[in-house]
Amino acid sequence: MDDYLVGVLSNIGVISFIALSAYLLLLIGAISFGQQAFFAIGAYAAGIATALWGWPLWLALGWGAAMGGVAAVLVGLPTLRLHGLYFAIATLAFAEMVRLLFEQFRYQVTIDGEPVGPNGTDGFRGIRYIFENDVGPLQFLALIYGLLAVVLAGLMLLERSRLGAAFRMIGEDPTLAALNGIAVARAQLLAAALAGALAGLGGGLYAHLTTYLEPRIFDVMLGVHGLAYGLIGGLGTALGPLIGVLIDIGMLESIRVFAGYRMIIFGGLVAVLLIVRPRGLLDERLVHRIGRACSGLFGRPRPDKNGAERKPA
Amino acid sequence: MVDFVQNTLDGVMTGSSYGLLALGFTLIFGVMRRLNLSYGPSIMIGAYLGTLVYVQLSAGPLVVIAVTLLGAVLAGLYVERLCFAPMAAGAGVASMVSSFAIWMQLEQAAVLALPRHTYPFPPLATGAPLNLGPFLLRVDHLIMLTGALALSACVHLLIYRSHFGLGLRAIINNPVAAHLVGINVRAAIVRAFALASAVGGVAGYLVLAVDQQVTPMFGMWATIKGLIAMMIGGLGSIPGAILGGLLLGVIEAHSQWYFGPHIRDLFAYLALFACLALRPGGLLGEALHEPFERGA
Amino acid sequence: MLEISDLVTAYGKIEALKGVSLRAESGRITCLLGPNGAGKTTLMMSIAGILQPQRGAIRLDGVELTGLTPARIVTAGVALVPENRLVFPRMSVRENLLAGAYQRKDKAEVAIDAERMYARFPRLRERREQLAGTLSGGEQQMLAVARALMSRPRVLLMDEPSLGLAPLVVAEIFRIVAELNRDGTTIFLVEQNAHMALQVAHHFFLMEQGRVTFSGTPGQLAEDEVIQRAYLGARRAG
Repeated sequence: MDDYLVGVLSNIGVISFIALSAYLLLLIGAISFGQQAFFAIGAYAAGIATALWGWPLWLALGWGAAMGGVAAVLVGLPTLRLHGLYFAIATLAFAEMVRLLFEQFRYQVTIDGEPVGPNGTDGFRGIRYIFENDVGPLQFLALIYGLLAVVLAGLMLLERSRLGAAFRMIGEDPTLAALNGIAVARAQLLAAALAGALAGLGGGLYAHLTTYLEPRIFDVMLGVHGLAYGLIGGLGTALGPLIGVLIDIGMLESIRVFAGYRMIIFGGLVAVLLIVRPRGLLDERLVHRIGRACSGLFGRPRPDKNGAERKPA
Repeated sequence: MVDFVQNTLDGVMTGSSYGLLALGFTLIFGVMRRLNLSYGPSIMIGAYLGTLVYVQLSAGPLVVIAVTLLGAVLAGLYVERLCFAPMAAGAGVASMVSSFAIWMQLEQAAVLALPRHTYPFPPLATGAPLNLGPFLLRVDHLIMLTGALALSACVHLLIYRSHFGLGLRAIINNPVAAHLVGINVRAAIVRAFALASAVGGVAGYLVLAVDQQVTPMFGMWATIKGLIAMMIGGLGSIPGAILGGLLLGVIEAHSQWYFGPHIRDLFAYLALFACLALRPGGLLGEALHEPFERGA
Repeated sequence: MLEISDLVTAYGKIEALKGVSLRAESGRITCLLGPNGAGKTTLMMSIAGILQPQRGAIRLDGVELTGLTPARIVTAGVALVPENRLVFPRMSVRENLLAGAYQRKDKAEVAIDAERMYARFPRLRERREQLAGTLSGGEQQMLAVARALMSRPRVLLMDEPSLGLAPLVVAEIFRIVAELNRDGTTIFLVEQNAHMALQVAHHFFLMEQGRVTFSGTPGQLAEDEVIQRAYLGARRAG
């Protein structure tokens, strides 16, 4: 596999974490323009862990995810109770504050006579774990997709679980959900924590993939792209956001012809899609229909409208 | 003490243009209950057209301002058509995200058309600043302040004393009842969009003329400033928009004096975040309680 | 005369109006009674153009109103005093009245009409510069009626004017309804308060579960049966 393809696929894999992070919040009805903040926190945390503290990669990635999750809970506490519009703007404000704080953040340790570490706007160079430990691009790619697969499996299990149903109920109507006995505030915080951890994990992977971080990368555009991926690909399933990522990075960024016009096409695509399919390509209704068709194919008895079991003809 | 007053004066002057930006934002939000994140970028399109006539045709400031205005209005109507008009009631999220998507589109289109990082803008005034006792007042800042105040007064008159304004306020108060008294709500919304874009166009011109240049970052900058000022002042409140703008300007001026430009931006966002966490309705607005119009 | 024929209005797949037919004769007070959820407000909103019916027709003196925008329906001469009043809370009483006359171009006549409203509703005159949101329930109801009248409608629709009001105030509202009708306005009125409604109505319809189930004059049906069906529906009456 040539390097360019490996690079694109790695990119797709890493960005998928942000897309899934925003998706998880969309499930509970929260629009976040700020998941890039947790992506950044995870990236810096994991980068510092391997480059400055000499931690192994798996521990650093976990640390990044944990930091993302904790930060998300801290932000979520005062904001999740807000009306959706205020919440969205609050996430925007928070993420920009994080970016600006990273511009001031300096933490350097001397290793082998050289200062290593985040240096404000000059960035954080030298996250060289994968080079120092002979992890080739293909192996890292496998790591990214391995983790992504685990996350996807987890999310799909979540969707079938009571918790997943609770999330969607909160997304539909929090008052109704509360009346049905769901602890709304706790569920929201849990979703926020998971989303933050997901973004943090992605950030950690990103840091080691590119070996270089600077605050400029983690701007509003990144967050809005993450949000847009779910809205394009569909909110019916965790695969939806991945389709969004594929369309943007896989198609638009990689195919030369489109490259110069990527935002124009992507922007227009999002706008048009939101008119005709406001919940994305793989929206809840389509996924539900696919689910029923598949069960029919496999001959499993499906309860009909009146609850009686009925085998398909 | 002198510094404090000087900074406050400077803050009020820059804040007056933030107030105009917030005014445009709040007009759109008031009538549609949706946030237009392409507001800044549509003003930027106007500004790019303005700089084009300035550079290519050596146009005078009046022409530049007219072209900027027109461009902003046209871009604003494009956004309205694509992101707001076709969305069914209840698709507030979709509109907001769609407007952000069009932002990306407009920004790239502008950069493709005019690829240099910065383009010149005609200045508001040249010459030495005025001395008012121990304080220094830049002439172009003063013009910006007067322009902003004059425009705010005009918009106020329009909203509170004209027939069109009565209709807009009715829609802002209760859209269903507005339909019931025979207001053509759809047409009024389009006109409100055009008005908001025009106000934004003037605000943009004033700011860029003081800066004497326009960059592709302007779209985002204008949106963020307008958004913060609007939220501090109170969503959907017209006097709140001006007040929020002035307050933001003052906060920024003082932060910049003591901590420099990066911390200044940090304080602006912090003010916004604190406002949302503690008093989402802002100073003069009402806190929203109805469920946010979710994506379909 | 306002004529509704086989009107069907649905919310998504759920039909709230399943083929409603009725008439409000010119110069008369026609009343629509029925339990909650029968579809009365849906009918009013459909006539006013806020909701678009799927099938059927709405005609005013033979002119088709179905499918028109709410603004055009006001031009045609139909004005609705909506359920829950829906005054413009942060506008003054005076501005609310002006808004009611939004489409009219005859400024002098509008000013005269406003004076007429103040004469008919003296409490509104007292409060003319007050914000409508600060008025009492009864005053808001009067404002809502006055606002609707400002468009000089041929037919005045009223959706539950007595809702949430004290009995004395309700009596005054109905006195005004009768007075308006005497002065020539056709009134089509939806009410939960069957007793008061039957005092003023010339003709009434009973609506249950999206259909008209009875049409007649007060007195044709024993009042307690009417009241039972208006509150509870046919299944539990008699």
